Amino acid sequence: MNKMMSNKWIIALYMLPALLLLALIIYIPIVLTGYYGLNDWNGIKAMTFVGLENYKELIGDKAFWSSALHSLLLALFSCLSLILYLAVSLVLASKIKGANTLRKIYLIPMLLSSVAIAQLWLKIYHPSNGLINIFLEKLGVVNTPEWLANTDIVLFAIFLPILWQYAGFYILIYYAALKGVPKEVEEAATIDGATAWQIAYRIKVPLITEVLKVTLVLAMVGSLKYFDLIYVMTGGGPNGASEVMASYMYRIAFKSFDFGYASAVSFFLLLICLVVTWLIRALTASKEQIQY
Amino acid sequence: MQGLPLRSTAGSSPIGAAGRAVLYIVLFIIAVVQLFPIYWLLTFSLKSNQQIFSSHPLSFPLQPKWENYEKVWSAGNIGTYFLNSLWITVVATLLTVVIASFATYAITRMNWKLSKLALGMIMVAMMIPVHSTLIPLYSMFNFAHLIDHPLSIIISYIAFNLPITVLIMLGFYYTIPREIEEAAVMDGSSIHRLVLTIIFPMTGTVVATTGIVNMIYNWNEFIFVNTFISSNELKTLTVGVQNFIGQYTTDWGAIGATLMISILPILIAFIFLSDRIVEGLAAGSIKG
Amino acid sequence: MKTQKMIVLLFLILTVVLAGCSSSNGGSNGSAEGNNQNESNSANPDPTSADEKVTINFMHLWPEGVSTAQNKVVNDIIKQYQDEHPNVTIKLEVLDNEQYKNKLKVLSTSNTLPDVGVTWAAGFLQPYVEGGLFASLDDLLGNGLGDQFVAGTTDAFQVDGSTYGVPLEFNIAPIYYNKEIFANHNLEVPTTYDEFLNVVQTLVDNGVTPIALGNKDRWTGSLWYMYLADRIAGQEVFSNALAGKDTYMQDSLLQAAGEVQNLVNLNAFNKGFNGLSNDEGKADFYNEAAAMYLMGTWELANFTANEEIPQEFKDKVGFFKFPVVSGGKGDANSWVGGPGVGLFVAENSPVKEQAKQFVAYFVEKWGEKAVTDAGVIPATKVDTSSVELADLYVELFNEMNNATSITLYADVQLEAEAAEVHLNQIQALFGNAATPEQFSEAHEQAIKK
Repeated sequence: MNKMMSNKWIIALYMLPALLLLALIIYIPIVLTGYYGLNDWNGIKAMTFVGLENYKELIGDKAFWSSALHSLLLALFSCLSLILYLAVSLVLASKIKGANTLRKIYLIPMLLSSVAIAQLWLKIYHPSNGLINIFLEKLGVVNTPEWLANTDIVLFAIFLPILWQYAGFYILIYYAALKGVPKEVEEAATIDGATAWQIAYRIKVPLITEVLKVTLVLAMVGSLKYFDLIYVMTGGGPNGASEVMASYMYRIAFKSFDFGYASAVSFFLLLICLVVTWLIRALTASKEQIQY
Repeated sequence: MQGLPLRSTAGSSPIGAAGRAVLYIVLFIIAVVQLFPIYWLLTFSLKSNQQIFSSHPLSFPLQPKWENYEKVWSAGNIGTYFLNSLWITVVATLLTVVIASFATYAITRMNWKLSKLALGMIMVAMMIPVHSTLIPLYSMFNFAHLIDHPLSIIISYIAFNLPITVLIMLGFYYTIPREIEEAAVMDGSSIHRLVLTIIFPMTGTVVATTGIVNMIYNWNEFIFVNTFISSNELKTLTVGVQNFIGQYTTDWGAIGATLMISILPILIAFIFLSDRIVEGLAAGSIKG
Repeated sequence: MKTQKMIVLLFLILTVVLAGCSSSNGGSNGSAEGNNQNESNSANPDPTSADEKVTINFMHLWPEGVSTAQNKVVNDIIKQYQDEHPNVTIKLEVLDNEQYKNKLKVLSTSNTLPDVGVTWAAGFLQPYVEGGLFASLDDLLGNGLGDQFVAGTTDAFQVDGSTYGVPLEFNIAPIYYNKEIFANHNLEVPTTYDEFLNVVQTLVDNGVTPIALGNKDRWTGSLWYMYLADRIAGQEVFSNALAGKDTYMQDSLLQAAGEVQNLVNLNAFNKGFNGLSNDEGKADFYNEAAAMYLMGTWELANFTANEEIPQEFKDKVGFFKFPVVSGGKGDANSWVGGPGVGLFVAENSPVKEQAKQFVAYFVEKWGEKAVTDAGVIPATKVDTSSVELADLYVELFNEMNNATSITLYADVQLEAEAAEVHLNQIQALFGNAATPEQFSEAHEQAIKK
């Protein structure tokens, strides 16, 4: 058994397609991006090597740091909202009438492309004709907020659709994981007199810790490099108030045509992701042993 | 699906009943909230720009503009785009899931020193924003004469979705009991047979889950298509949206109609696959 | 076990080969030289023989769905050209505005531009010219084509005295207004800025939004700033400051920026304008909630031919020139506007000569059809007496002929990086997040860079 499970050729055979693809399609571009980051390059003229000049500029770039802060905030909110997603999944996975239909309905927004979601939320947030402000006006609010134009609230206004957009994704994963918990475990606990809450918190959740850890990493990394909705809904504005790292990078590359600097930004983004992921794994590592 | 009590001990107490009523109301409200985008998209797709920007966002147009759908259908090539989207999505999704399954198995179940490193490599691959890979990828594909070739988008889809697919699978593979493999090996099964006939069928749930996720991503992707493909015959349905974005104006109603049409196949696939999740569980949990 | 080893080895060899190829290519892709690897072209390296089959790749941004008229004009011209030149095939690729710009950028990094494509003037064009990617079109213009253009329209496509693009559009930006709303409040078309402020104030007092603006797109707000700068500082001072020939830190320019904020504080613009796109912002003008809208003449098609817009609304639309500011140096016949898109020919195109011929043919035919068929005002001369046009078009054509100067849109005029700074600062200025001093300071730095 052990001999078979450590056969190098078989391991290589199973791993190679994945690793080769990643090496070709992702690692070579990462290395090249790293190289572009050391150059001054507008994508047209020949590159000029400038060493760490771009990184020096990055350190003093206030706009970048504010976008990094926004990204980290988004990551934090995404991680917190995982709790909400998990709660919904726990309810869905417990014995509820019509759970099967509800589950499908809950995941529908996930199928929509970002274009559609952005349009929907633009209609919700519209300052004079939007769903929220129409509602607030009916309640008698006079100075209804300008959701996407007010630099103080735009960042949080933009988080909501993102969290909503990803609800389906995480609920799908949690639901599948929870359904994988053997029925016998639950039944045994029920006979012992455990409440639904106890079963969920003490038995089901610990059994899917691996999945939880994975989603934590996914939420973190996904948020740090998030781009779609923000770009369509606010373009990072007004005045950079909703800019995140990836939208900042995109603007530098494709609007300001400064590919060298943009590459430095994306390399830095990669570094931040690495540190955060490493932190998550370090913080959750202790429990890993118990699983085996 | 029988109406088993939510809590066996307190289920009959008045608090429990009231609690359950509240729970159902909450569940119902969430369902309405989640369904509302589809209704909204329908009304959106039946309006003119004028109505979209001035009428109440939820109002159903008095004179529905079915011409929007006509416009979308009659715009040349929609059939070709549709078929391209379909086969590219299916091929890329299948390959991603298969390649990821093998990799996940090797990482989680087999013993080798570098498995942690390999996993790390896969995770790092998730951290690079798409836009910063466009230029290097384009020059690579251009060199390999893969520009304007479907292979360029298919392998890009696979590579970019692999990390997330492996990660989702990871958690599930860890929970497969060792005894199953040991029993199979005792019976004299080879490792390939073990993986193909015992492990893969057991992971039906996660395969369906990652399958859905991959499909949605591939179906809606447009950055790679726009960059690597130039022939009309090879473009996908997301081009349909662009067809209505002009230099100074955008035909939003027609975009709504395109989105409405393009969501249907994915909706069908989703309903089918999400049932598979439950079936996969039934098959997988027998021995669990 | 042997087969496994074989497969693994095969995989490895494949990667080494592929990786070797791609990395060697990656290193060299920054250079501007190198061959065009566009496969469809490489079979025709010799442009001299006329009978040889030639494929010209042409990338444009008028999708069939929304720019139906332009798309049709393009296709008609191409069909005609191919009929007259049976050996030529024109291969099209159509993308929307933003995707088009992005793709052009990516293509330029590998030096694989299409043979013919759409470009913008000045700041957009300049890096492509400096990188040697666009071909000089001087020979075409010298060959009679130059006379067909309205004087000065090709200037914005010049770098160091050579022309690298031929314009297809020419626009100026008037203030459109709703005649009925003006009449209801006994308002006259303002000719001075004080009258204009009075109009704004009256409308605000009566609960009508004076101006529709969607400033998420930023260039929309830039038009307002540009006019104020032009009227207060004068066309010459403003142009010199934008071109970096003179300092941006001038009292008159500070005053213009301050005037923008004055308008904002008067509530002249619709609510939440900084978070609205142009499409969303202008909706207030179209549904008659706002009285005025400053926009380029491309909007005319909506006030005339567009069947989706009700006729009763179209009848209410008029326009006026941006009013003069008393004590300011600008005059009423100075406009913000300029050529929109134009065509370029790729320098390394293997079919460069044929591509140039096609461009010349295209510009001429486009000039004949653009206004009548697509409502686009071409940069070539239009004989307004021989074609039947809506009144609004005729009136604006006259204004163009009487123009004393036309200042090119700042975001087109400036190079990419400075243009981004300008646009961001516009949003900050309108949002009261930057003072006029900070605004001018940022421009000073960006333009000098």
